[in-house]
Amino acid sequence: MRSLLLLALLTLPLLAQSTRTGDWPTYTGDNRGTRYSPLDQINASNFSNLEVAWRFKTDNLGPRPEYKLEGTPLVVKGVLYTTGGTRRSVVALDAKTGEQLWVYQLREGKRAAIAPRQLSGRGVSYWTDGKGDDRIVFVTTGYRLVELNAKTGQPIASFGKEGMVDLKVGMVTGTGKQIDLEEGEAGLHSTPLIVKDVVIVGSSFKEGMTVITHNNTKGLVRAFDAKTGRLLWTFNTIPRPGEFGNETWQNGSWATNGNTGVWTQMTVDEDLGLVYLPVESPTSDYYGGERPGDNLYGESLVCVDLKTGKRKWHFQIVHHPIWDYDLSSAPILADIVVDGKPIKAVALPSKEAFLYVFDRETGKPVWPIEERPVPQSDVPGEKTSPTQPFPTKPPRYARNFIDVPDDLIDFTPEMRAQAKDIMARYKTGPMFLPPIVGDGKGLLGAMQLGNASGGTNWPGAAYDPETHIVYAQANQSAVSPISLRKPPYGFSDIRYVLGRNDTEFRVSEGPGFGTAADSPLAQRRPVAPAARPAAAAPAGGGLTVQGLSLVKPPYGVISAINLDRGDLQWQVPYGETPDAVRNNSALKGKDLGNTGQGGSVGLIVTKTLVVLGDSQMTSVMHPRAAMLRAYDKATGREVGAIPMPAPQSGSPMTYSVDGKQYIVVAVSGGAYSGEYIAYKLPDHE
Amino acid sequence: MTAPVLLAIATLFAFEAQTVWDGVYTADQAKRGAALYADRCATCHGLALTGGESAPALTGGDFMSNWSGLTADTLFDRIRTTMPADKPGTLTRAQTADVLAHILSAGGFPAGQTELPTQTEYLKQIRIEAVKK
Repeated sequence: MRSLLLLALLTLPLLAQSTRTGDWPTYTGDNRGTRYSPLDQINASNFSNLEVAWRFKTDNLGPRPEYKLEGTPLVVKGVLYTTGGTRRSVVALDAKTGEQLWVYQLREGKRAAIAPRQLSGRGVSYWTDGKGDDRIVFVTTGYRLVELNAKTGQPIASFGKEGMVDLKVGMVTGTGKQIDLEEGEAGLHSTPLIVKDVVIVGSSFKEGMTVITHNNTKGLVRAFDAKTGRLLWTFNTIPRPGEFGNETWQNGSWATNGNTGVWTQMTVDEDLGLVYLPVESPTSDYYGGERPGDNLYGESLVCVDLKTGKRKWHFQIVHHPIWDYDLSSAPILADIVVDGKPIKAVALPSKEAFLYVFDRETGKPVWPIEERPVPQSDVPGEKTSPTQPFPTKPPRYARNFIDVPDDLIDFTPEMRAQAKDIMARYKTGPMFLPPIVGDGKGLLGAMQLGNASGGTNWPGAAYDPETHIVYAQANQSAVSPISLRKPPYGFSDIRYVLGRNDTEFRVSEGPGFGTAADSPLAQRRPVAPAARPAAAAPAGGGLTVQGLSLVKPPYGVISAINLDRGDLQWQVPYGETPDAVRNNSALKGKDLGNTGQGGSVGLIVTKTLVVLGDSQMTSVMHPRAAMLRAYDKATGREVGAIPMPAPQSGSPMTYSVDGKQYIVVAVSGGAYSGEYIAYKLPDHE
Repeated sequence: MTAPVLLAIATLFAFEAQTVWDGVYTADQAKRGAALYADRCATCHGLALTGGESAPALTGGDFMSNWSGLTADTLFDRIRTTMPADKPGTLTRAQTADVLAHILSAGGFPAGQTELPTQTEYLKQIRIEAVKK
């Protein structure tokens, strides 16, 4: 009896909400970025029997439907919480039936309509005092931190001002000018990181390809008291004079540049009291002539103290960033064993398709990361770093540059020849090939792969804490030639923006820009009239051979990376061959194998399976559908698939209620508006 | 069988099982649509319909994978209800049909003698097919 009581007491802390109890209490399942659940009811033998438990359409959460639903719900104690709709509402649903329990929405007007992150958000966060005070925490389209009563959806009056903290307060440009609270540039669509009684929130800004100024809002990460909303600390991702790294902004350029936010998920080691911040690019994405130097903490993994926000260590993944290699994924905390030695590690998936692995206490790379010489820029005013970091282990888990001609399409000799002809119009080379000033009479741009939308993007990767394996989907067909041009007179104070001098200048906006609830916009960003007639080919995209990708398949891959050994355990094509390949008349009768699909999607790992959905609809080998697929996590073999009505657009999650396991995934795209679909096994065989 | 009945049956067959390969828009309509497209759509989707960071391509394999197998009203309604993203609902039904005609033209689907209709019930009878059957 006594030992039973002791056992009960010992196991009590484990019964707090976690994936071990069948819940999914944070965006990535836990605060370690793993997306792992030990649930095993759904397995290889029955995955293909899954049926829809319920659906939740987000159409009516805003004045019009959304077509890019990116949320991953939480489930705590039988209730599912998430965001959705063009007004980024929060809903609480019965996790068994999908019945709506409450909905919260904030009408932010113009503040949301001009926000830099307008989609319905990646979801919400959960805080509890363990005594019945349960709260849902999220960031609105207009960049307000809101806390709601988890039971009722009502704002927590004692938090901030009537339940919210205005996150634009304290955001600055230049040397410290407060941004306008209504029109100032700042937003976020990732979920806050909550650890104990601390809420940690990042920041993000407009798309950095055609900026109107390099002196835009400066990024930062802040911690707030979860109970009151009081600001606890601020970490400046652009260090101020006297702060470590300020000298990496030469000529005082820290004062005249912005961005460098943290727009993706952060993670925390609660025991060590250390927080891991994946920082994005400084302004602008492809031109750094206004900010000579390495530009810390641009594109750096930064470890800060949970209590104070003070820097413990950092590692700059890209020096003087000009490739849009924003740190896109949640850093994964992994307790591994290398050469018999236990290491508390942090592993960072990336657009570069490298997994950067560090000792998370010291920041020392687990395997050497070498500085190697890279090509240098010839764009006026640009000074690229002579070297960049290259991990020696694990090997890259997807293609990260185009090796000409070996990487080019080779279905037929004619196709290879056409691809070579196209490539001849561009500058080509290894990783970190800098952008060039493209010209219709000469080279059109610098051919790159993966920086804008390749490798592992915002959906991140997953990690199995039992086997020490990281699972990552990666796009290896994101061909993106980059060309710079001078902006039209009066458009910007930066010397070069994305584009070509001989084509019409077009402003590049971010995904979802203009789609928030209260658009139409009062005014758009100024666009100077085109100086010259438009040409057909834009600065990026549209590079195909008979409608097919310039590069050879697989277009996307799923990789299992063993973190004890630092090698690839297995790698398989992601998804199935697209219709455009199967239907191509030049390829009739050819066996192409599985070419896989491009696109960027998230995944989960369970006791036995890796689960993720297709990024494309297909209809040649089965009726029109995008498949949700299960792979044997030990081998990569596909062991089951079920049809979904639209591509996966948000990362899946899994939970269990009353002994039944569910998988929920957000789908949308094309004709299909946003919908969360819950799958479970049939109650009766 | 009387002549009117025969005519009715003939008409029925004429409008049955149409696909985008059957010349469902006119060249003039696509030309009007091209001008509208350049003005209202190209900023995000690109002049060559190849898309960009902020918006998907409106031609090619990825685009067709979203729409092949559906009927034209779904694409028409997607444009009508959500586009242009910064000012949805500002195109008339006729303008929406013109833009759709331009997208079909750019996708290599042949022009015909009849304009693409603006009525949902008629558009429902035109299937989008990536490949000519």
